[in-house]
This record gives sequence, C-alpha cells and structure tokens, in this order.
Amino acid sequence: MGRLRGPAGWATLGALGVGLFLVLTAPADFQQGNSVRIMYVHVPSAKMALLVYLFITIAAIVHLWRKSARADLLVEAAVPVGTAFAAVTLATGSIWGKPMWGAWWAWDARLTSMLVLLILYVGLAALRSALEDPVKAGRATSVLVLIGAVDLPIIHFSVTWWRTLHQPASFKGSGTPAIEGALLTPLLAMSLAFVVLGIYLVLLRAGLVADRRRLEALEMEEPTHG
Amino acid sequence: MLRAAWRIAWKDVVGDFRRRATLSSMLFFAIAVLVVFQAAFEPDRQEATRLLPGLLWVTVLFTSLVGLGRVFQAEEEDGALEGLLLSPMPRGVLFLGKWWGNLTLTILVELMLVPLLMVLFNVNLWQRMPLIYGILLLGSLGLTGLGVLLAALTQGARSRETLLALLLLPLMVPLLIAGVQATGGILNGGEAGPWLRLMIIFDVVYLALAPWAFGWLMEE
Repeated sequence: MGRLRGPAGWATLGALGVGLFLVLTAPADFQQGNSVRIMYVHVPSAKMALLVYLFITIAAIVHLWRKSARADLLVEAAVPVGTAFAAVTLATGSIWGKPMWGAWWAWDARLTSMLVLLILYVGLAALRSALEDPVKAGRATSVLVLIGAVDLPIIHFSVTWWRTLHQPASFKGSGTPAIEGALLTPLLAMSLAFVVLGIYLVLLRAGLVADRRRLEALEMEEPTHG
Repeated sequence: MLRAAWRIAWKDVVGDFRRRATLSSMLFFAIAVLVVFQAAFEPDRQEATRLLPGLLWVTVLFTSLVGLGRVFQAEEEDGALEGLLLSPMPRGVLFLGKWWGNLTLTILVELMLVPLLMVLFNVNLWQRMPLIYGILLLGSLGLTGLGVLLAALTQGARSRETLLALLLLPLMVPLLIAGVQATGGILNGGEAGPWLRLMIIFDVVYLALAPWAFGWLMEE
C-alpha cells in the first residue's frame, strides 16, 4: 500500500485543483448567491462520511469473518477520516444554514443522523483506545461498526418519521428542482476529488497505523532481549 | 440450552439481591433523576402530564446505564468469565443469560418507577397503567439487549462506564423517540401504533444480531 501513497497524493492535489477551479468559476445561484458554493464542499463530504462508513463496515465484516489483521488495520485507519468528513459536513452545513434558514441548526432527519454518525465515529476511536489488548480492541471495534451499520438506517428512518408525523419539515432537501448542468459539473468534480482525497487519507493513516503496530510489536519483544 | 441461560440469569438476579444491590442503586438513581428534573423544571400538573413520556424514558435510559455498568462486574471480580466461557454451551446462550438477568432488574425498577412518577408529579395514570407497562417492556427488550452487548464490548476498558454511556445514548435515539411518542400517544390520545411497530423492529433487529455479535466478540 505504501507505493500507492505518492501517486494518490498527487491525484488528490490535481483533482482538488480542478474541482476548486470549477467551483470558483461556476455561476452564483439565482437565489442563494455565492453561499451556494459551500455546497460543493458540503455535499461531497456528506457522501464521503457515509461512504467511509460503508467501507469500514465491509472491512469489519472481513475482519470478523476471516480474522484478517489487515482488514482491522483498515478499520482503524479509516475511522478518523470518516470523523473528519462528518465534522466538515456538519460545520459547512451550519455555515450555510445560518444565512439560508436563519439558524445554525435544525433537528432535521439528515442533520440528526449525521450528528449521531459523528458521535459513533468518535465512539469507535474511543473504544479502541480504551481497551488494552489490541486483539480484543480490534474485535470490539468491528462489532461496534456492525451495530452502528444496523442502527444508522433505523435512526434515519425514525427521525424522518418523527419529524414528518409531528411537525412539517423545516425544509425540503430532496424536493428541490433538479440542479442545473452548470452547477452539476463542479459538484461531480468535487465529489470525485473528495473520493480521491478520502482514499489518500486512508492510505496515509494505514501507513501510520501499520508503523505504530510494528513499533508496539518491537517494544513487546524488547524485554526478552535485554 | 435455555436452561443454562436461565441458570445464569437466576444467578445474576439472586446474587444481586444478596450482595451487589444493583437494584437499589438503580432505583435510587432513578429517584435522583426525578428530583433533578423537578428542581430544574418545576412543572405544574398540566406541564407534568405533557412532559411525562419524555421524563419516563429519559429516567429509564439513564437508570439502565447504572445496571449495565455492572453486568459483567461479578465475572470481572472473580475472574469467572473464563469459567463461563469454558462451559460447554454456545456463546449466544451465555449472552441470553446475561441479558435476561439485566432485563429482570430493569423490569423490576420500571415496576416501581411508574407509581413513583404518579406520586411525585401528582399525575393520574391508573387507567393507562397496563399499556404503559407494555410499552416499557417492549422498549426494555431492545434497550437491555443492545445494552448488554455494549457492556460486553466495553468490558475491561478504561473508564468503562463513561464509554458505555457515549456508545449507548446515540444508538438508543430511535428507541427513545419511539418510546416517548408511543407513551405520549397513549396518554394524550395520539397515535401509538406506528411507534410500537418501530420498537418491535428495533427489538427484533438487535435481539437477532446480539447473540451472534457476542459470539464473535468472545471468540478465542
């Protein structure tokens, strides 16, 4: 995986460069003005927060099923990346929400689900660091990943239902008219750039985690030699 | 097979009565939550009726953390978990035993909690009592099922009880919403049916997943 890191880094730089260029040259929105541009960061990071969770779910299944240490390493490497994307999603959404809805936050289904996803990511990292035995820590983390994978759809479903049954939705995201082509191209470019960025960050973290595990293994050996 | 699960549950409940007294800790913790709530909001009778479903479920959720923090305490103290794991039964049965033990304690606390709420907040729930207990039972199945699994996950971790709360509370959001809405529906004449169905979905999903997940977790 180490060999891929360099090319992935350059690909990220290129893709983000092209994406940002398209975002900044795209026309401003008729109603939202320039604040629409934050959507080009917000939407891709929201997708990445979910995509990373999908990725760690698959890795966790492989880890538990095949007892693959490499899959466990990928789970550990990807969790902070997902945390970052979820945090960026909430922050950019909030910044956009203030001028658009007049509020930093609304207890909408998608916002609530994303917030729970962020807490879940933090919980995954906390659980691993709280357990001494690395094998048990890895296994517990993978089981928690699966619990979360089952919970997230139920959370989304229940909050949606709660909001629609209880009070009218504060805004409609999916009901907006189809996006113009001029706005769609930069959005696609940024989504692609974020996918490449996500892969790069996971590779980077995977290298770091692998190094740390090797170091820990060496430290465990040391007393027998000295 | 199920006899073994009953034995484990029985041992936990009886052991609790004799020595560990989790039940009374849970009960007095619940009362403390009610006192805090009263001090913070000072609801009059009308407000108390409106806030009651939320108060009931928040108290149940927080109180469950006290019990769940101790699910594996006896095993940790005496190193008896290895013994249980060595016994010739599937790991899922062991989970069932621990789950039933915790469920029993939770139900006992809930049985006392509803009359306490009626007295302390001066609301009359007599006619709705069986329905409220029914909803509480439905919610407790999923709450304790997922809770015992999370207790097993965090067993042996540093600052285990904080971690347990951090993991349990967000995952319980669907059950909390459904429980509050269903209880509110019954008390204030709204719709409860869809919420009960959501609780059943939550229960079934987690109780199907938890014994397997427990097995993966305890594998050697």
